[in-house]
Amino acid sequence: MSGIRITNLRKSFGSYTALRGIDLQVPNGTLLALLGPSGCGKSTTLQLLAGFETPSEGEIWADDVLLSSPRAVLPPERRGISLVFQNYAVWPHKTVAENVAFGLSIRRLPKAEIAERLTRALRAVRLENLRDRYPSELSGGQQQRVALARALVVEPSILLLDEPLSNLDAHLREEMRFEIRQVHDLLGITTVYVTHDQSEALVTADRIAVMKAGAVQQFGTPEDVFERPANAFVARFIGSNNELAGTGEGEGAIRVGDRVLTAPDCSGVARGGSVSLCVRPSKVRLDDDGGLSCNSLPGTVVRSAYLGEHRDVLVDIGDGRTIRAFVPPDRRYGPGAVTTVHLPIDACQILAPSA
Amino acid sequence: MGVISTSSREAAPRPAMARVPPVKTAVLGAVILLLVLLVVQPFGWVLFNSFHDDATGAWTLNNYARIVQSAELIEPLVNSLLLAAATAMIAVGIGVPLAWLVSRTDLPLRRTIRVLTLTAFVTPSFIGATGWILLAAPNSGWLNTAWRWLAGEGAGTPLNIYSMAGAIFVCGIYTVPYSFTMVSSALDEMAVELEDAATTLGCGVLRTMVSITIPLAAPAVIASFILSFIQGLTLFGVPAFLLTPTGIPVVTTKLAEFYQLFPPEIYLAAAYCMPLLLVTGALFWMRRRYLGRKQYVTISGKTRAGRQIRLGGWRWAALFLALLVPMVSVFLPYAALLLVSLTRAWGQGLSWENLSLHWYWWAIFGNSETHTAIVNSLVYSTLAATLCVALGTLVAYIVERRLMVGASLLGAVTTVPIVIPGIVLSVGFFAAYTRAPFNLYGTPLLLIAAFAATFLPIAYSHGGSILKGIGPELERAARSLGAGEARTFLSVTLPLMGGGLVSGWFLVFIPIIRELSVAVFLITPKTNVMTTLIYNAKDGGNYEAVCAMSVLLLLITLLLVAVARPLAGLTGARRTSRKTAEAAGVPS
Repeated sequence: MSGIRITNLRKSFGSYTALRGIDLQVPNGTLLALLGPSGCGKSTTLQLLAGFETPSEGEIWADDVLLSSPRAVLPPERRGISLVFQNYAVWPHKTVAENVAFGLSIRRLPKAEIAERLTRALRAVRLENLRDRYPSELSGGQQQRVALARALVVEPSILLLDEPLSNLDAHLREEMRFEIRQVHDLLGITTVYVTHDQSEALVTADRIAVMKAGAVQQFGTPEDVFERPANAFVARFIGSNNELAGTGEGEGAIRVGDRVLTAPDCSGVARGGSVSLCVRPSKVRLDDDGGLSCNSLPGTVVRSAYLGEHRDVLVDIGDGRTIRAFVPPDRRYGPGAVTTVHLPIDACQILAPSA
Repeated sequence: MGVISTSSREAAPRPAMARVPPVKTAVLGAVILLLVLLVVQPFGWVLFNSFHDDATGAWTLNNYARIVQSAELIEPLVNSLLLAAATAMIAVGIGVPLAWLVSRTDLPLRRTIRVLTLTAFVTPSFIGATGWILLAAPNSGWLNTAWRWLAGEGAGTPLNIYSMAGAIFVCGIYTVPYSFTMVSSALDEMAVELEDAATTLGCGVLRTMVSITIPLAAPAVIASFILSFIQGLTLFGVPAFLLTPTGIPVVTTKLAEFYQLFPPEIYLAAAYCMPLLLVTGALFWMRRRYLGRKQYVTISGKTRAGRQIRLGGWRWAALFLALLVPMVSVFLPYAALLLVSLTRAWGQGLSWENLSLHWYWWAIFGNSETHTAIVNSLVYSTLAATLCVALGTLVAYIVERRLMVGASLLGAVTTVPIVIPGIVLSVGFFAAYTRAPFNLYGTPLLLIAAFAATFLPIAYSHGGSILKGIGPELERAARSLGAGEARTFLSVTLPLMGGGLVSGWFLVFIPIIRELSVAVFLITPKTNVMTTLIYNAKDGGNYEAVCAMSVLLLLITLLLVAVARPLAGLTGARRTSRKTAEAAGVPS
């Protein structure tokens, strides 16, 4: 096992810049999630880590071994990095057992050891009864487990997962999230997990790197990125969010339209610059007075949806701006109802748009 | 913990350097060398020679000047273009409706028509021309004789195969299989949903055909038109048999004439190749331009479920039309060839005493020349097809997976022979390899190399289309598990290509075994193949032997095709599912 160190990693394809200088430190045994919308550069980062692409600038280190630099790239087969692909890439011409044992036979291990490790790996992913099946005879979830067993049986020092759950149905996806975390807790292999699904990242990862347009927006623990988003993009991307765009008034104030609202300023943007006020819908209160530490705004209910656990209410606060609030399900609001929106100051943050 | 983590720790302090593995270097080197030998060298010699004077050997532009100025050299060019354009129009005019009938309607005998079209594809067109000489030569042709018998002695002879119309007819009917196959496979692969979507919006059968089916198949139709045009332009055997006797020159026969002159005007011949290259090159450029923007045609869906367009009362009329093609390209000429081949001496007429298998016995066992040619044909075609598929597949792999800088240039070089008419390639190989240091004249190697070079583009494009269906993740998975590039190719890519490679091999083998023009200048009595032997024997007028050998050539080829079809489908019933290989998943 080894830790990963990525310094100033850049990658361009012709005139298109996929990565604009990424720095990441992944301590040994950590599960890092690369989270971001499509086109953010997370898959490019993974391909660079696996050794299939050459960086335009920057370096990738595994402990004290230089894996990639613009001058030299250690070929994928010599990195000890296993990769699980989005579409599993299980070889259709090999049986389950042949797929899983491939990496072991490449390593020229003794027959007995191959057999033993193969059996152990198949048992771990509950495929021992399907060992002689061909992939076309397996379900998506089973193929997924073949891919995972194939990657893990060689005991890699680093494991890469490229959107491993995106081709599974919703129910199975939820189950596999915990399974992946469980495997990681058991083996402790340094893992990089690429996903666009924030809940996958929050459940599985020790560290999350939120990416957008080829740059890391925030790198921290799941709690960090959810509770203390570094900018409006991160707040928007992880969890539900209200965002009111305005200009910084300095000293914890933001001008939204003709109103000035108060909130802790985390933007680092100078007075007069464009910033946003962000607040989670679950923190927004309607009608009941939150006391002095609230920004209070009059509004009209646009729509109200019953979601069982809570009610999702959309309130028009004028100037074409709206605020979403999650309120207890027993509070009923019909469209057109007049209400007051309270934004508790300690739940609000003034953030820069994005890095 | 792992095997690898220990090894990476051993390599610890120094930065790991990327080494190009020696196997990869060797394979890349071999591929480049072979391409230089098979394509660049011969073509380069043609170009080089075209700028030299036949008499003095000095650099000159005189050859080109002569072509432009002399009417005698312009006429064959015009004839060739006429022949090519007419051939392409016949091929598309018949092949496209036939393809639609077979893949979209309830036409009876659809499978039979497909098989018969394949038979026409397997037939060398110059053998078809021989059959049609027997059928439609002025006076003696059987159809003419039959006409006189029906309409009276004074009815004259309506058919004359020794004419431009005759040559166009023969070239056309043997080019129909090209357009038929291309268009019918485009129709077969077309997603049925695309047409169903139009039907559910209230589109009738005809409207759907006109506004959805035909536009979607248009790229295939245009590609088949261009290929048929090139076929008509580059054929050598048919014009040599049907036009040379009446003194109508085309470019390919004129080229052969330059070689038979004394002294031969080889350098002028080289320059005379250039107009052909220019036209074929321009056509391919246009095709690329057009098809490059119409990639959507490759969108395929489910195989068409049984829903067919009902022809109703038109069924039998359509069947009559559909059978007309196999009738004129397979039944009639082969009946004529078979009948002649089964007579001891054709001149003595049809009678029981005259019927015998004598000429077959003679061809296989009796005559060492024909015996050698049969063996040569089989051996050379097998070796050439193997070399061709191996090289074409490797280049396709290098290009598809971008294994080296300038990979696409490699692909372009591999495609070049498709624009070089066989006879020009023959000229090039003659120039390149009959001199020192190669001195390959009279060796089997020369013919094998020339055959392989001619059909390299087919093997390359076929290999490329198989590889496109194999997701690169399947290979990357092996790489990340520790397999090097060579090992990955051998244990993942090659097995996945399996059945496709077998069919690719036959796709190359069949045209090689029936190829005439590229062999024409390269054979010697020892290295004669069946096609060249038949070609030369026909000059000698021994029709019985020519017919027997033609029938034998067809039988051998058909037999091999019959063996091939199940073989290509044999590679793994349970594991053929490419679903996993093609599973969706575009990386972000």
